[in-house]
Amino acid sequence: MNEDIPNDWLDTRLRDEASYIDDAGFSALVIQKLPARRVRRSYRAVILLALTVVASALAYFLSGSGGFVGELMMRFAVMPLSLMYLGAMGIGLLVMIGGIFAAISKSGQHLR
Amino acid sequence: MALTDADLVARVLLNDDHHAFAELVRNHQSTVRGLLRQLVRTDVSLADDLAQETFLRAYKNLRSFRGEARFSTWLYRIAYNCFREEARKRKELVGIDEAQLAAEPDPHTVDPALKHDLAHALQLLPLHERTAILLCCQNGLSHDEAARVLDIPLGTVKTNVLRGREKLKRSLALWANN
Repeated sequence: MNEDIPNDWLDTRLRDEASYIDDAGFSALVIQKLPARRVRRSYRAVILLALTVVASALAYFLSGSGGFVGELMMRFAVMPLSLMYLGAMGIGLLVMIGGIFAAISKSGQHLR
Repeated sequence: MALTDADLVARVLLNDDHHAFAELVRNHQSTVRGLLRQLVRTDVSLADDLAQETFLRAYKNLRSFRGEARFSTWLYRIAYNCFREEARKRKELVGIDEAQLAAEPDPHTVDPALKHDLAHALQLLPLHERTAILLCCQNGLSHDEAARVLDIPLGTVKTNVLRGREKLKRSLALWANN
């Protein structure tokens, strides 16, 4: 055992030994290598919403200020009931497939 | 008022704030690079490459930092893992060269300065003792924190620190009265 040298003395010398290392561009180099900044989710939602509103407005004015809506209603009214059921089923199926895909991709991200 | 590590981490997580992360790098680069230089021993550029990798990994995995330990402890763990991965590829980074041990010099005759003797004595320690000494005695981590960084039992850390200290004291015995 070396009782002559106290632990404090040794620890102080060790801390002295660890002199400060000047940054000298190190931090800048690290920041340069970081992946590009992500677009924030809230911004993404705002952008999507704005695009949807603009596209809807454009479609409304280009189609004669919504005249197509009345015409569409008329066509629906005279449409056979079986065709409407078929359409509703098709849309339901599409939504279900979309939901399943979304759930699978979400769980995949979670597991990664 | 200077922001704490926790504040900076929160800013990075919430806003992907690169400036906040740059501040974290500036605050910790010296200790992380210092630790890696001591572990790698000779190759300063390799140590800096590993330090860079450490901070990049820290950025990518920042969400896994839960604030239970100090940010510096978490960083040391990443740095040590980077070093370990590199050491698996390069055998010269691990253990102690027997020839170097045999050539252990008399601190009084070879190196006139205590600083040099201490650095030399540190280099001669086996990796596990050197790492424990660097973390606990030089960087001020508790034994418990060091055990978490190194992913080894607390008792092993204590033993490594004790043995490392004894060896350092033996190497520096001639400086005891100075």
